[in-house]
Amino acid sequence: MAVFILRRFIISTFTLLAASFVVYFGVSISGDPFEDLRGIQDEGDAQIQIAARRELLQLDVPVPLRWFNWLTGIFRGDFGLNIRNQDVSALLSNAAAATMQMVIVATVLAIVLGVTVGIVSALRQYSGFDYSLTFAAFLFYSLPVFWVAVMLKQYAAIEFNNWLRDPTISPTVTVVVALLAAVAWQALIGGDRQRRLVVSITSFASTAAVLVFFSTTRWFADPGFGTIVVGVMSVISAVVATYLTAGFRHRPPLQAAGATAVAGVGFYLVGGPILAEPSAWTLLGLFVLGIGAALGIGAGLGGIHRRQAMSASALTAVLVSGVIFMDQLLQAYERFFGLVRGRPISTVGSATPGFTGNFWEVGLDSISHLMLPTVALLLISFAVYTRYTRASMLEVMNQDYIRTARAKGLTERTVVMRHGFRNALIPVTTLMAFDFGAVIGGAVITEQVFGWQGMGTLFIRGLNEVDPNPVMAFFVVAGGSIVVFNMIADIAYAYLDPRIRLS
Amino acid sequence: MSMSDPAHPEDATTTPPLDAVDGRTSDELLRVEDLTVSFPTDDGLVQAVRGVSYSVREREVLGIVGESGSGKSVSSMALMGLLPKSARVTGSVYFRGRDVLQLREKHQRALRGSRIAMIFQDPMTALNPVYSIGDQLAEAVLSHHTMPRKKALDRAAEMLDMVGIPQARERLRNYPHEFSGGMRQRVMIAMAVINNPDIIIADEPTTALDVTVQAQILETLIEVKDAVNAAIIMITHDLGVIAGIADRTLVMYAGKPVEVAETGPMFANPRMPYTAGLMGSIPSLEDSTNERLRPIKGTPPSLISLPIGCAFEPRCPLSTAECLETEPPLTETDKPDHVAACHHWQKLAAVDDPTAYFRTESEVGR
Amino acid sequence: MSTNTEGPPVTRDHEPTQVADDGMEVIARTQGQMVLRRFLRHRAAMLGLGTLLFIVVLAYTSIGYGPFGGWWDKSFLRTGTVLDGGRPTLFTEGFALGEHPFGQDNVGKDYFALVMRGTQQSLVVAFIIGIVTTLLGTLIGAAAGFFRGRTEAVLMRITDAMISVPTLIFAAIVAAVFGRTGIVFLGIALGVVTWTGLARLVRGEFMALREKEFVEAARAIGTSNWRIITKHILPNTVGVIIVTATLAIAAGILLETALSFLGLGIQPPDVSLGSLITEYQTAMVSRPWLFWWPGIFIVAIALSVNFIGDGLRDAFDPRQNRVRD
Ligand SMILES: Nc1ncnc2c1ncn2[C@@H]1O[C@H](COP(=O)(O)OP(=O)(O)O)[C@@H](O)[C@H]1O
Ligand code: SF4
Ligand SMILES: [Mg+2]
Repeated sequence: MAVFILRRFIISTFTLLAASFVVYFGVSISGDPFEDLRGIQDEGDAQIQIAARRELLQLDVPVPLRWFNWLTGIFRGDFGLNIRNQDVSALLSNAAAATMQMVIVATVLAIVLGVTVGIVSALRQYSGFDYSLTFAAFLFYSLPVFWVAVMLKQYAAIEFNNWLRDPTISPTVTVVVALLAAVAWQALIGGDRQRRLVVSITSFASTAAVLVFFSTTRWFADPGFGTIVVGVMSVISAVVATYLTAGFRHRPPLQAAGATAVAGVGFYLVGGPILAEPSAWTLLGLFVLGIGAALGIGAGLGGIHRRQAMSASALTAVLVSGVIFMDQLLQAYERFFGLVRGRPISTVGSATPGFTGNFWEVGLDSISHLMLPTVALLLISFAVYTRYTRASMLEVMNQDYIRTARAKGLTERTVVMRHGFRNALIPVTTLMAFDFGAVIGGAVITEQVFGWQGMGTLFIRGLNEVDPNPVMAFFVVAGGSIVVFNMIADIAYAYLDPRIRLS
Repeated sequence: MSMSDPAHPEDATTTPPLDAVDGRTSDELLRVEDLTVSFPTDDGLVQAVRGVSYSVREREVLGIVGESGSGKSVSSMALMGLLPKSARVTGSVYFRGRDVLQLREKHQRALRGSRIAMIFQDPMTALNPVYSIGDQLAEAVLSHHTMPRKKALDRAAEMLDMVGIPQARERLRNYPHEFSGGMRQRVMIAMAVINNPDIIIADEPTTALDVTVQAQILETLIEVKDAVNAAIIMITHDLGVIAGIADRTLVMYAGKPVEVAETGPMFANPRMPYTAGLMGSIPSLEDSTNERLRPIKGTPPSLISLPIGCAFEPRCPLSTAECLETEPPLTETDKPDHVAACHHWQKLAAVDDPTAYFRTESEVGR
Repeated sequence: MSTNTEGPPVTRDHEPTQVADDGMEVIARTQGQMVLRRFLRHRAAMLGLGTLLFIVVLAYTSIGYGPFGGWWDKSFLRTGTVLDGGRPTLFTEGFALGEHPFGQDNVGKDYFALVMRGTQQSLVVAFIIGIVTTLLGTLIGAAAGFFRGRTEAVLMRITDAMISVPTLIFAAIVAAVFGRTGIVFLGIALGVVTWTGLARLVRGEFMALREKEFVEAARAIGTSNWRIITKHILPNTVGVIIVTATLAIAAGILLETALSFLGLGIQPPDVSLGSLITEYQTAMVSRPWLFWWPGIFIVAIALSVNFIGDGLRDAFDPRQNRVRD
């Protein structure tokens, strides 16, 4: 397996090297690097500037040699100077962090949401849910990214911020949203007519109730969970985690997950001081500790079902951590809201200039900047993952070994999760490698719409000015991360498929 | 969902008093009554199974033969509850007196793999490629019994040993792709008997295998069946497979049984031209005339638009106007337990070699 | 030996072999018709086809194309006085186009004419991308899959190198180099960077098919490689090729749009749907229709083409729709 991955890594490094030459060459010959200087009135001044730029860009050196010089520079960590004599490395380090954050968040969300929705869609083939999703997926990959981005900017940011001045929900909106929820839930849960009716009514009523509650308490003006909601969500987490990992046939997994949820809420109640002003490392440490404790609880309470109990409680710990994290973020909302002068959803840049605050406030600020570009970026990838996973799952559920699993008398849950899902993921890993590049391409565009000074700007400006070094800096980071992501995909593939792992 | 009620097969099978449901012979294990299966498709309703009835006694081997597409697999999957959701199933399947088709999903599942086990045609695809053999065998045990995983693995090793896989314990850690086709089918047999089932449905267990290992696998299957005292429904399109091992044989054509009898008498005196035709298609060793294999000419009818008369009529050398008009019912022939669905079974009884009807024209002229 | 002398003679008109032969022939004859029938039955694909045809006819007949005039009298280049703040007149008085159905921009250009021109150019670029992608992808994939060995190694290395760079990045560079020379070159240049996916698919199909008996048989009797490829293998891969080509057209529309947004697509004064949205994105608040119309056309075209592609895929390969046992 190590050999397989190493081989792939070496091949992709060399491929990247070859591609870098093509890109360098392309940018170098793509136009006239003196275009902006041609307009200068003073003949002599123009001559001097042109000469200086010729020197700076080494235009007298043949392109392949220039590429080689650039390449040797890279290995020393030197990305060269741009056409304005600025150090590209410095420009890059600012730009890369913001862009990669967006790209990684979008990719991870697209994978998690796309795979989940794709699986459900396959299991509910030919249902209303499946048809709506199919249509949504087609719509998403027929949408120009920047068109969506501009729309989100207008409606989800500017108008949403305006609405927040008086966050009440009109009865019409309440009814429409509740109706949509009813349709969605009954399609998702399925079953016979009576069950669908019950589900519809329940979800209509509860959605409407929640919206009315939000509206009358002006929840959106200062959103927050409070202890009760955290408690309820933790319990739900335990049940969901148990269902997904172990099922309810035996008690111990549910008990372990429940104990984990209780422990999580307990920590939430007493751990306030630690959570108030944490560093990222503290939080990470707490998270790891929490998972460890959950595994311990699982092992302790699991008995002969130890394996399942451990995975149920570990998953519970992850979900409960998420709930507590959200809660803490929302607790910081009020101060953040004041700091951004009542316009929480940002439309420009990747952070509010000069914003300072504790971990949660800074976190809210970057979320408010990341949210819309990420959504715009997400849609296509989400659609691709959904369709691909759905197809893969349908294919797998038609395989003979699924029939064997059913013939053994396994529950449908086990058949789907253990035998179907696991196998359906294998082809999805190959998609991961392809899609990551597409997301980076999309990021170039979303960044422009939302005015980020990210890598996309480096690329576009460099390309327009016939300035190879910034473009190449973009290329190195983009290409490098694609190679790394490919490796992750390969490892996931090998992990999932013993035929690769053992060869 | 109640958590305190683990779906143990013991509970499920012992709830009704055994054999008390009706007064039939107490060693009757499984009785299928008027089973039909159809699939709605774009082109119309596919009537894959059109009324199948049979019974299986304890430890008996029942053979089911028929050309491919005659509904053998579909009817057996119906017993297991393994058909796709689109399938429409009617009729009854009594297992130890209880109608399996009427059971709640949970109780049906408790029978599956525990009391009724199944072996499939293609061992290359029947095992999940991503889990080890040990995992997959242990899973079969753990889905019906609450016990530590280690004990389930011990049981798995024991079963692998029984089906003739050397170094069973070490091989538990292997993955399906590390096994040959014959070995995988042995694993499938081990998986089928791991919970001591009462009945094993073997759906063409040797068809996908190399000729050289076919006989070994059949032999293993029979040995193992005797070891766990199970009955077998042996499904095949190859009379040769049935000949040596089946106590009774059911011949299926176009979704219906067309002849049921004890295997020996049926082979000696087929009472339905289709059976005779099938027998004509196996080359026999005694036949010194060097005749070639004679497959029955023509193809089975479309299951979407079936003829009103005998389904075999277009291919039958004995067909008459009556055959075109009325469908022959399954009736007793010269012996009470030898039933066949043919208007003209007497004609077959009247000749020495019924398979001769299926000689080609040129051979006839000789 | 006794034969069927004892019964009435078997009627000859349903001789078994006859049935079999007929059955085979029927299947062979209707293979293409089956695909067509499944395609025509695919509702989403039919809707897509109808919409696409409507848009194509509307775009090319309204303002005309090249030497051919159209029924719409306003030019996409001519400025004019802005009437009623440039609001669209479509349907304001019943079902009538009015003076400026899609409104006017800030210098009074007729927006209907602009959008029609943008549609024309976007379609041209997309179709050129589709054609070039299909030709290159099929050729390279077929060569790699059929000849194997060194040919395959070289071609696949090139493919891998291209796949390792995000398409948009490659496209932007190629557009920067060639794009400014006109829409035909832009289309060709973009086609040159988008063939990789199809090449991989075609290679896969070829590799599988070249091992099949009928190809072996053809080779055994000395059929030339060219003939094997064109007569035996290619016909079996048309499904994959047609479907991918269709989807490439949809992707092409969006690619050109994205490049226009980055200033690398069609150059002014000519317009494409992408360059229209880009130019008027700031008008979102004051004159939203300038933003909406081209967007709606892009989405309508891309969605229609994607649906057609889906219908074709189902028609060629109905496997996924069938419930198997
Ligand atoms: N899911 C299904 N949908 C439609 N037709 C089916 C389905 N499953 C099986 N059939 C049809 O039922 C008939 C009987 O199939 P089967 O039982 O597999 O035959 P065999 O005797 O070879 O095992 C075949 O004609 C097959 O096409
Ligand atoms: S009923 Fe007639 S057609 Fe059918 S098998 Fe008997 S003789 Fe042949
Ligand atoms: Mg079968």
